[in-house]
Amino acid sequence: MSLRTRDGLGGKAAIVGIGATEFSKDSGRSELRLAVEAVRAALDDAGLSPADVDGMVTFTMDTNPEITVAQAAGIGELSFFSRVHYGGGAACATIQQAALAVATGVAEVVVCYRAFNERSGRRFGSGVQRREPSAEGAALGWSLPFGLLTPASWVAMAAQRYLHTYGLTADAFGPVAVTDRKYAATNPAAYFHGKPITLADHAASRWIVEPLRLLDCCQETDGGQAIVVTSVERARDLPHPPAVITAAAQGAGRAQEQMTGFYRGDLSGLPEMSVVAQQLWRTSGLAPSEVDVGILYDHFTPFVLMQLEEFGFCEPGEATGFVAEERLPLNTHGGQLGEAYLHGMNGVAEAVRQIRGTSVNQIPGAAHTLVTAGTGVPTSGLILGSDG
Amino acid sequence: MSSDSTVRGAASDAGRDMAYNAVRDIPYDDLKAFEGRAAAEAGIGKDLVNVPMIRHWCEAMGDTHPAYAGADPIAPPTMMQAWTMGGLSGHEGRSDAYDELFGLLDGAGYTSVVATDCEQEYVRALRPGDEISFDAVIESVSERKTTKLGTGHFVTTRMDIRAGGELAGTHRFRILKYAPARRKPKGKRPRPVINRDNAGFWEGVAAHRLLIQRCGGCGELRFPWLPGCNACGSPEWDTIEASGEGTVYSYVVMHHPPFPAFDPPYAVGLIELAEGVRIVSNVIGVPYDKVRVGLPVRLEFQRVDEELELPLFRALGGGPPFTSGGEPFGSGGEPSVGGGEPCAGGGALVEGGPGGALRVGEELPALEIPITRILIVAGAIASRDYQDVHHDAELAKAKGSPDIFMNILTTNGLIGRYITDRFGPTAVLRTVAIRLGAPNYPGDTMVLSGTVEAVDNGPDGVTAMVKVVGTNGIGKHVTGTVAVTLPPGGTA
Repeated sequence: MSLRTRDGLGGKAAIVGIGATEFSKDSGRSELRLAVEAVRAALDDAGLSPADVDGMVTFTMDTNPEITVAQAAGIGELSFFSRVHYGGGAACATIQQAALAVATGVAEVVVCYRAFNERSGRRFGSGVQRREPSAEGAALGWSLPFGLLTPASWVAMAAQRYLHTYGLTADAFGPVAVTDRKYAATNPAAYFHGKPITLADHAASRWIVEPLRLLDCCQETDGGQAIVVTSVERARDLPHPPAVITAAAQGAGRAQEQMTGFYRGDLSGLPEMSVVAQQLWRTSGLAPSEVDVGILYDHFTPFVLMQLEEFGFCEPGEATGFVAEERLPLNTHGGQLGEAYLHGMNGVAEAVRQIRGTSVNQIPGAAHTLVTAGTGVPTSGLILGSDG
Repeated sequence: MSSDSTVRGAASDAGRDMAYNAVRDIPYDDLKAFEGRAAAEAGIGKDLVNVPMIRHWCEAMGDTHPAYAGADPIAPPTMMQAWTMGGLSGHEGRSDAYDELFGLLDGAGYTSVVATDCEQEYVRALRPGDEISFDAVIESVSERKTTKLGTGHFVTTRMDIRAGGELAGTHRFRILKYAPARRKPKGKRPRPVINRDNAGFWEGVAAHRLLIQRCGGCGELRFPWLPGCNACGSPEWDTIEASGEGTVYSYVVMHHPPFPAFDPPYAVGLIELAEGVRIVSNVIGVPYDKVRVGLPVRLEFQRVDEELELPLFRALGGGPPFTSGGEPFGSGGEPSVGGGEPCAGGGALVEGGPGGALRVGEELPALEIPITRILIVAGAIASRDYQDVHHDAELAKAKGSPDIFMNILTTNGLIGRYITDRFGPTAVLRTVAIRLGAPNYPGDTMVLSGTVEAVDNGPDGVTAMVKVVGTNGIGKHVTGTVAVTLPPGGTA
């Protein structure tokens, strides 16, 4: 029971390869091709071949079946294939699934991937206007007739309560946006490469859903990202220093909802991320002060603040100051606001680069990185560490 | 000057669901040539200022200001333009230039007209028996502009209005002569997602009962509807009917992207019911920008289309609570309406006399005006405006409007009423300057709110500049500024 005791997964597996397509607003090719390109790139980076792969993991939301990606990428027989639900909440959980398979011997080399034309194809930001009468559809259905139809609006409902609870204004979200864009400005892969912003820019940007402004919202993106996981032992024989999966966890709160968690609790925190945080700290034996870099899921800025508070980096209501003072290097790739919205998978890649020492915004001596997945939904997180 | 391509570009910015009727480009110099020419010369009001027309106006506007009734009434200042209107038999005294300009615009395809701005200054009160004369000049004609209504040219005129040869007021008026955008019919709201687990809730809504599940095992109330209890796991349940009382627990204001059934900006609230459960809904009876955490609300069922009724929540008190801590501006210690509590819709701010305590930043209690079909028609006729778009739904639709809509003179009159209602029987309107936005269609509700922006103590008394906003279900209907004076020495 990992909710109550330290789990046995920590330190068994490592990330050995990362690969991505370019991040764009219009890829000009199929989602399947993006997935296959990313998988090939990640295997090349790992120094492995398609023949080495026997496991694949993706998101339930991904349109590219494991078998089809395998078929097009030259991957043969699979002994493990799995998918994780709840949108971006799956990101770190795909790595956890891979680590579980590797640690138990169910698979030796597992590729996790996510690829979509989320900007030129089906945009999440364009909202939802109908759902099937499944349990999941019905859950969202309580909000639809009243015009609460977009991811930004679902986050804004909690964000407004957070501001009310702590007596803040919408400017409290500014430092997250400014930090992301600062790092994006020096990342050539980022959509906002060379385009930093100021707090004044943030405050002057137009409303999307009050209290969220344009610059509180992530960059809808076309692209693919893949991550290769194998055992720590095998990792030591591969080209890059292993990024050891020190701890991996999923989390859902009591009476959890998917983006519409309006009905319980005080709305000023992220209970599901607290579930993740407790497990990561317990299994890793680390404390917040020992984390060198935080890659915190940032589809919308307010939930970055709440995550910092749930993980105990600062007290509730104090995260704005924590970010403004740059007390923790945060989203050094530029985040999903600045680099790309790859459903959190590009953040996992950045956490790996920090451990390898190859980030364009390298934090010297980074030995422990914290990565999180989608917020406001059942979610997941990782602590990656250097080997030995 | 706009080329066709720039107009198309602007059109796509204005709204992706629009296309524009064909129009011909008019060289801007041809339009510019009308600037400075007379729009009306030596026009004479068809009627002397008279008590019956004043009374009809006041009835249409719901204006009970004592100065407009009794033995020696004055005409409501905002009625000024009505005395110059041609009425059903048409205008006399309009200049050739004005007719030529309209002919040119009509011929190029800009066949619709809508008033957008009205700025009036009242120099002296009009009284029964006054003979009205007027002259007007075409002040400006704009380049081609694209608005939500369509594409066209703004024409601004300025009129001097005299009573018995003496200047009584000035009136600047801006209209848009335009080719209406072809609009897709407005979409319906997204349907509720109904299944076997939650059908009972929607059956309750159909019967105008908001039902909350109650666990048969532990008695816990729950929302949303589910076939079991999260507190104890029991599958047994029954329902209780919500009292309908609640408060806003959180809210958002939707701006982007637009959806067919909704006109942003609009507010969506998370309502905490008195029973302790929460539900997402809309807060009505208050402008979208006045919804606040903690606002008390009460349940109401509203039909939003032929097939759908929804539980919505009306803000209590007709307006937001006062925020400025003390009493609203009142006279010399006399208790006034409000006093830090949510204010009832009808209260005057100044009960007895001039407001020595007018404060910049003070918010006036809101006034909620149901936009009925009869208000729109009565207002149009009382202002002698027989444009078909203000009384004939079929012809209004033929011109690209979803229904008839309120004319600018009625909006002007309602704002005059709002200000004098709030400032009391001695209040004198000095200027009213308004700009129209989202039209007032039948079935909507407009909420007028006002904020004191400046206060000036002069020899005539205390003059306040009041910023007024009128919000309806689709956005801001009107924004404007009113100068109102409270004379020294009290009663009128």
